[in-house]
Amino acid sequence: MSILANRDTRAVIIGGIAGLNAARRMAQFDFLINRPLTVEAFVYPPEEGQHKEIYRGGELNNVTVYASLDKALEENPQINTVLIYIGASRAYQSAKEALDARGIKLVTMITEGVPEKDAKWLRKYAIEKGKIFNGPSSIGIMSAGECRLGVIGGEYKNLKLCNLYRPGSFGVITKSGGLSNEAMWLCAQNGDGITSAVAIGGDSYPGTDFVTYLQMFENDPETKAVVIVGEVGGTLEEEAAEWFGAEKRRIKLIAAIGGTCQDVLPQGMKFGHAGAKEGKKGLGSARSKINALREAGAVVPDTFGGLSKAIKQVYLELQAAGIIKPEPELDEKLLPELPPSVQEIMKQGDVIVEPLIRTTISDDRGEEPRYVGYAASELCEKGYGIEDVIGLLWNKKLPTREESEIIKRIIMISADHGPAVSGAFGSIIAACAGIDLPQAVSAGMTMIGPRFGGAVTNAGKYFKYGVKEYPNDIPGFLNWMKQNVGPVPGIGHRVKSVKNPDKRVKYLVEYVTNQTTLHTPCLDYALEVEKITTAKKDNLILNVDGTIGCILVDLDFPEFSLNGFFVLARTIGMIGHWIDQNNQNARLIRLYDYLINYAVKEEREVPDKK
Amino acid sequence: MAKILEGPAMKLFNKWGIPVPNYVVIMDPNRLEQLGEANKWLRESKLVVKAHEAIGGRFKLGLVKLGLNLDQALEAAKEMIGREIGTSVVRQVIVAEMLDHDEEYYISIAGNRDGAELLLSNKGGVDIEDNWDSVKRLFIPLDETPSIERITEAAIEAGFMGEIAERVAKITSRLILCFDNEDAQSIEINPLVIRKSDMRFAALDAVMNVDWDARFRHADWDFKPVSEIGRPFTEAEQQIMDIDARIKGSVKLVEVPGGNIALLTAGGGASVFYSDAVVARGGSIANYAEYSGDPPDWAVEALTETICRLPDIKHIIVGGAIANFTDVKATFNGIINGFRESKSKGYLENVKIWVRRGGPNENQGLASMKKLQEEGFDIHVYDRSMPMTDIVDLALNS
Repeated sequence: MSILANRDTRAVIIGGIAGLNAARRMAQFDFLINRPLTVEAFVYPPEEGQHKEIYRGGELNNVTVYASLDKALEENPQINTVLIYIGASRAYQSAKEALDARGIKLVTMITEGVPEKDAKWLRKYAIEKGKIFNGPSSIGIMSAGECRLGVIGGEYKNLKLCNLYRPGSFGVITKSGGLSNEAMWLCAQNGDGITSAVAIGGDSYPGTDFVTYLQMFENDPETKAVVIVGEVGGTLEEEAAEWFGAEKRRIKLIAAIGGTCQDVLPQGMKFGHAGAKEGKKGLGSARSKINALREAGAVVPDTFGGLSKAIKQVYLELQAAGIIKPEPELDEKLLPELPPSVQEIMKQGDVIVEPLIRTTISDDRGEEPRYVGYAASELCEKGYGIEDVIGLLWNKKLPTREESEIIKRIIMISADHGPAVSGAFGSIIAACAGIDLPQAVSAGMTMIGPRFGGAVTNAGKYFKYGVKEYPNDIPGFLNWMKQNVGPVPGIGHRVKSVKNPDKRVKYLVEYVTNQTTLHTPCLDYALEVEKITTAKKDNLILNVDGTIGCILVDLDFPEFSLNGFFVLARTIGMIGHWIDQNNQNARLIRLYDYLINYAVKEEREVPDKK
Repeated sequence: MAKILEGPAMKLFNKWGIPVPNYVVIMDPNRLEQLGEANKWLRESKLVVKAHEAIGGRFKLGLVKLGLNLDQALEAAKEMIGREIGTSVVRQVIVAEMLDHDEEYYISIAGNRDGAELLLSNKGGVDIEDNWDSVKRLFIPLDETPSIERITEAAIEAGFMGEIAERVAKITSRLILCFDNEDAQSIEINPLVIRKSDMRFAALDAVMNVDWDARFRHADWDFKPVSEIGRPFTEAEQQIMDIDARIKGSVKLVEVPGGNIALLTAGGGASVFYSDAVVARGGSIANYAEYSGDPPDWAVEALTETICRLPDIKHIIVGGAIANFTDVKATFNGIINGFRESKSKGYLENVKIWVRRGGPNENQGLASMKKLQEEGFDIHVYDRSMPMTDIVDLALNS
């Protein structure tokens, strides 16, 4: 048996993320003892209509978030308990609504820092309504084998260690949340575990008191003894002593009271809990509480460490008297294990998961990204540049100084080509239409293809093919191209010609051949091809795409990377155009009618639809 | 619980129509001259100058000066401001009108679980403790405001008569309003004085505690609570309080000079039991400390370093119950870093460390704590099977 919370308890949690975490912990307990989910609804207006994912073991549940308690109860009339996890400034209102709600019998509040006046009011209100208001600052309520309200009991492993999967014979009432867990452990370690444990909270004016719960435990036949953990401040412990001493009680009482050190400490020193303060003339001192409890017949050890012995002693006495019949310990192996997450099992090496993707260039799992093994910051420190990062990420190799210089030049001369070309113009139109940078640049990027800037890869690819298959037979190569591909990519220009050469091509070719030691079989081959094609037609020159493609092949970049150089370089220009248009506050543009030949049908009447 | 200084208390009294003497709070003594030009009462009344700080026994320390004229008050203010008392410095003084009066009364209200208790006496002043039997008590239930008739009746029962009883009742009813509306926990006016010639009343001295947790609904609370430990906070305490205000969870520290057993304990409840165990076994604590609510590791690290710097410590008790949700591994990492850092700075020599803890990730946390042995720490680590405060016994018997 138990008090306050049992197998029939169904709860709603009022509050956000802290409440969700509590619900998840509670579901672990539900799984341990194989009971239905305790938390059946959330109330949190900012997240109305959402569903929170809660695993009960391996079973995934979706719990609805409502905007109001009324709404939650309307759709879940079986709910009888409210857990309050909302901030201190709204806790009072929430608790009051909960106490007003018809089906609710128990309201327990974890919220800390609730004004005393509010707590006093709620206590009074609950008494008037004949309901239980537990807290504020309560870690929760645990009934072994039946129900967990709040995060009381801690992690899953601890639930087992404290035998919380089945009832014992001890009741626990504490002010402190941490010590409720400790007390449950002591009852399992030195006795047979608990029936129920309640944390009433360490505030000055908790909603309930030791006596309320002592009476409940007295009425619960399964509870044979109660451990209370109190502390200096208030008179709840004295009242407990008075209750215990007033008449013969069925239950044994064991108590630990904190704060005796206050005798020797600076006066007025503040302890951990708000309520832990001594009144005038020693009222509520730990010493007076201990004396009162001892006089009433409770076992009160002189330190908390002494509780172990005290519990053991009471347990053995109750056993000797035949009041407690020890149950054989359950084999821990029979208890279910919490299903681990994939990450946890993988860490243990018990499962193999086929990876979805594979990477060979970059790793961000450490403190900083590493490119093919090299830490980015170390590359910076050692004087490497952007060309080297390109070399690593596109070709998995660090270029030499000479190679870097060539890469740098390729990017520099390709960065922009004025506003009129397809890419820049696309970005400019988008910028004028008020489109944001990434989308406007992608508009320009979309233009890169066979007719604009996208011939680098194919130029590199086919000249490489020619070098390999038709090394000394350029007419043969051209013939093969004609039959299998069509016009040679990288050859030909709209405006440039032999008489009007492309300055960029001239510069690149001269730089690579005259100022570097790079071996350039592909470029040389392309220049030979150009001699033949220009003999046929003046504008069939090796264009900038072809030049770059060949040089990159000679630099040993993989085929797939070649267009990347143009894309990367031109991105710089397109971003520039977008910035430029925005700086000028450019307006939406459209083509003038006179730039369009409206080759359309004359105006006519729309026929009736057949 | 938050004690507030006289100045803010007077301001709240003013707000609720409780008579107070004229007063000013100043930080710069020269400001008093200008205020003197602006305020007739400063020029014409006898004045009292008091250090406006949370320093106990101000009278004995010469931090209260009575019966002064403006020039003398200026001198007194100059003398007090900047004075160092122990670890604290006087930064403000309150200069108030010293009311010539005929009688001294006592009024107080203190909250309790069921409401509040009002205390009235016509024998106020320094001798109130001796006249405790003459004090009239009136219980004010939650949600009830006693009628003026009821209060007058109580005043008469307390020995007040005629018009004075009526006036005292009126002031008392306003005090109840102030108590209720300002989320006060206790207000004590001693003395409330009367000058019978013009029936003028004034609360000459007041001690007021407000509920600091209720500050979210008091936009006009422009004050900060003062130290409740009978002395100003030390620099280390202030630092930890500043961290505490910034984090999820909490870290707390109070120094206790002269002790040699340092506490680095977890949980509002358990930490008190550790202090108790030290005292019960005849030891003396060097501090009270507490961390709870799963605070970030860096905050625990800062607390650890502060504790390691405490003078003359022989033991550090790293104690705690079995945590519900505070991550033992994470918080212990903070403690371990704090220990390492302190050791590298030359602290922790000949200091024994005693550890007992349980909770989420306890095995990993305790294992890494135990590893400190290999780095030359004199550290003894126990798990949940060790009774919680028994490491104190082990430390004191070592």
